[in-house]
Amino acid sequence: MGEIFRRIRYLLRRRRFDAELENDMEFHREMAARQGRSNFGNVLRMREQAREAWGWTWLDRLVQDLRYAARTLARSPGFTLTAVLVLAIGIGVNVSAFSLFNMVALKPLPVRDPDSIVRLERRSPQSYTSEMPYASAIFYRDHAKSLSAMMAVLGVPPMVVDNDLQPIPASFVTPNMFAELGTVPAYGRLFDPAREAASDAPPTVVLSYGLWQRRFGADPSVVGGTVYLNGKPATVIGVTPYDFAGLGGGGPDLWLPMAQQPYFVEGSKVLTDPSAGSVRMWGRLAPGVSPKMAAQELRTLTNELRRQYPKEIWDNEYIDIKPGAHLQVMQPEMYRVAAMVAVLTLLILAVACANLGGLLLARAVTREHEMGIRIAIGASRGRIFRQLCTESLFLAFLGAAAGLGLSYAVLQVALSRLDTPKWVTATPDWRVLLFTLGISVLAALFFGLTPALQIARQRQRKTIARQVLIGAQVAASCVLLIVAGLLVRASLHALYTDPGFGYEQLLSVDPELGQHGYTPADAQAFLTQMRSRLLAVPGVKSVSLVKLPPLGHTISRMDTEIDGHSVAIYPNWVDSGFFRTMGIPLLLGRSFYSGEKNAVIVSQSLARKEWPGLNPIGQKFKNGDDSFLVVGVAGNARVNAINDDDAVEVYWPAQLADMADMVVMVKAAREPGTLPPIVKSISASLDPKLFPETRQIKSLYHDNVLGVERVAMVVSLIGFVAVMVAGVGIIGLVSFSVSQRLKEIAIRLALGAKKIQVLAAVLRQFAWPIVLGMVVGTGIAAAASKVLRRALYGVDNLDPASYAVAILVLLAIVGLAALLPTRRALRLDLAKTLHYE
Amino acid sequence: MPMKDRPKPGMPPGALPMLILRVLQTRSLHGYAIAQRIHLLSSEVLAVEEGLLYPTLQKMLVKGWVTAEWGVSETNRKVRFYSLTPEGRSCLQTELSDYGRVTQAIQDILRTA
Repeated sequence: MGEIFRRIRYLLRRRRFDAELENDMEFHREMAARQGRSNFGNVLRMREQAREAWGWTWLDRLVQDLRYAARTLARSPGFTLTAVLVLAIGIGVNVSAFSLFNMVALKPLPVRDPDSIVRLERRSPQSYTSEMPYASAIFYRDHAKSLSAMMAVLGVPPMVVDNDLQPIPASFVTPNMFAELGTVPAYGRLFDPAREAASDAPPTVVLSYGLWQRRFGADPSVVGGTVYLNGKPATVIGVTPYDFAGLGGGGPDLWLPMAQQPYFVEGSKVLTDPSAGSVRMWGRLAPGVSPKMAAQELRTLTNELRRQYPKEIWDNEYIDIKPGAHLQVMQPEMYRVAAMVAVLTLLILAVACANLGGLLLARAVTREHEMGIRIAIGASRGRIFRQLCTESLFLAFLGAAAGLGLSYAVLQVALSRLDTPKWVTATPDWRVLLFTLGISVLAALFFGLTPALQIARQRQRKTIARQVLIGAQVAASCVLLIVAGLLVRASLHALYTDPGFGYEQLLSVDPELGQHGYTPADAQAFLTQMRSRLLAVPGVKSVSLVKLPPLGHTISRMDTEIDGHSVAIYPNWVDSGFFRTMGIPLLLGRSFYSGEKNAVIVSQSLARKEWPGLNPIGQKFKNGDDSFLVVGVAGNARVNAINDDDAVEVYWPAQLADMADMVVMVKAAREPGTLPPIVKSISASLDPKLFPETRQIKSLYHDNVLGVERVAMVVSLIGFVAVMVAGVGIIGLVSFSVSQRLKEIAIRLALGAKKIQVLAAVLRQFAWPIVLGMVVGTGIAAAASKVLRRALYGVDNLDPASYAVAILVLLAIVGLAALLPTRRALRLDLAKTLHYE
Repeated sequence: MPMKDRPKPGMPPGALPMLILRVLQTRSLHGYAIAQRIHLLSSEVLAVEEGLLYPTLQKMLVKGWVTAEWGVSETNRKVRFYSLTPEGRSCLQTELSDYGRVTQAIQDILRTA
């Protein structure tokens, strides 16, 4: 221990220590000379040896190498600039991707004690849902000792503020939420559990900063005043801060206390009904409790809950605990997409590094002279190798710095385009910086290792390294181009193909009858009246009912196995007119009769998978213990899973018990945009306390597709950049190769060889790496694109058109890159070349 | 080979630190004096070269066996005097006993083998 201190003291006072040592040695020499002995020896060597004893020679050498590297790089500014640019792109892309991932999944929300906040969802081997009944949440809160707090958020359709036309997004939350998160209000106060917990407390509302600015002109006197939400008065008690971080992202503009929900949604039994799955639940782990311990306790409680409500709790249900305080609660599929993006960005880095490695190899020949001198002076190969590695690291760090700046700029642009909460910034945090460090070391390894080995061993003549580099660049660019091509094709496909139902003219109207306490019989009466009133409207072509509307808020999915393949089945409950309204063709059999019970209609893909080669009509479809008779086969219509081409659907006839949950689908004769006000007035005339949520399916669909378009554009851009970089690299390597063989070319030409023959001779060494690179690249792309299936909108991941186009483009660029330098060489002045040596 | 032309036997490697420690046991000395003393006490058989002495002294400084203090030499020159630390003293004891054992073992072999 003391030794380390002494060594550090030496490092800090080096000059003084060295001076003292020199003094001693000088004195020694004086005394020796006095006595006639001139035993000088190599003074410098002695001093060096003495200094080595302190153990800091590695540091000295490192500083020396860094200085040397800086000087060397400064001497060839063209090369340095190119290298830094190439690295900046390669590293910058990776850092940008990681920053986004960090923002979404790794960085905790700026709330109080984010690590103990967890998200709780119901899960079983067969099912999953992100929402649970409020009654269950209360049960868990009251009985779970491993949770010190429970927060719940109930999303509702947007509410009408005063007399506005455009409704505002709103949520009901447990009154402890703001206190648990440690939010400080911008004005007024936020919810207080003591004051807002009771259902007979005066109704209060909290505004978001954005809403307060836009709608209320940032007027402080709004706080304390009254606003009317869906016609009911509430007191505004405060405004959330500008950079508010809430649970579950995408914040509402209005917050209301959970206990007030029955007041605003008249007749609602959502808070007490154990079968109404509607709140998202978060919790805070008690101090010292690990997620595992909490999961166990919750499992016991779930079993207890099943005993009380055996019909509401699934078999083998458990509460899934995930970290809750991030921008996005990660689901398993999202990790797969993230991994795919990571691989793509690493590929770009590989292209950049291969490029740079080639440049370094070319440069190595010009440094032969320098290396020769150094070895003659006495440098060991190990020392030279170390110095070259330091040079590579230095270059890599320069590139990383540039890449960091580049990614910051990119992120700023991205954040300004996307709708992110105000607390999200582009400034890199420690995770991003650590990642940048790691990536730059990795890059230095990729591009620096081979040249360093080659130079240190003085074996630059071999062309194999160059060929491998070209092959690697071609392979990586190939993968990127193919993937980009697939994604572009997919987005075109998505824009111009039919999802299986007629989304252009559809309107979904959700009266939320169940939320307002309607019994099934009342609901049926209401819906029948609504339907007949709607059909009377001239712009309406047909009306039907569905439980899970297309692109709605809730999805239900059952994963089963057919013949060893896992199949995702999307169930739905519909009335008999559904298929006509939605524009889904009935290929076989018939639609439901009204009041039919034990029947199902399956989609075409399901029929083919389940009963291949047989007539599906009359078969039995099994679901758990029940079996249903198949009465019809509908065309594939990915109503609830636009992006999943492997999805299959099963439709059950809507029963009386389902009526309170049904959504009305309206098919317009022409423009659905004129209908919402009409729908609103019909609903108000039937029951004024309802505020149905009306959505145009066309715009929902286009929003969905826009996401894929954006991704495709970004990937194409990246692929293009990578190919350009690879092209430039290939040009560099080929022109270098040619310059090496100028004399040979000149001789051949002088002896009468045709230009083509000379070209072939020079380029032959590049033929097999390019071919091999393409083969390997295509193979990797085929394998990797399997992961993309779900995102490809039904384009086959082996789509020949995309592959063909990508390969042709790559061949064109590679061909150009190889031919350009050689053409220049072939126009040589033969005499001059042969004389020059 | 005639005696004159054979190279003089050098210091066994690794013995120098032990010798320095022993020399410093009784008093503090500057670098030249340490070399002198070793040369004298060994009846001029062992000669310590500068190139070996100072690096060894540095290593012993790092390990904390000796410390260096400024003093004035016989010739009125400012120079550093090296002295043993408590760790150095105990190290000397260990070295001495190790060396003693090894020498005894070698002598046994040479005598009886």
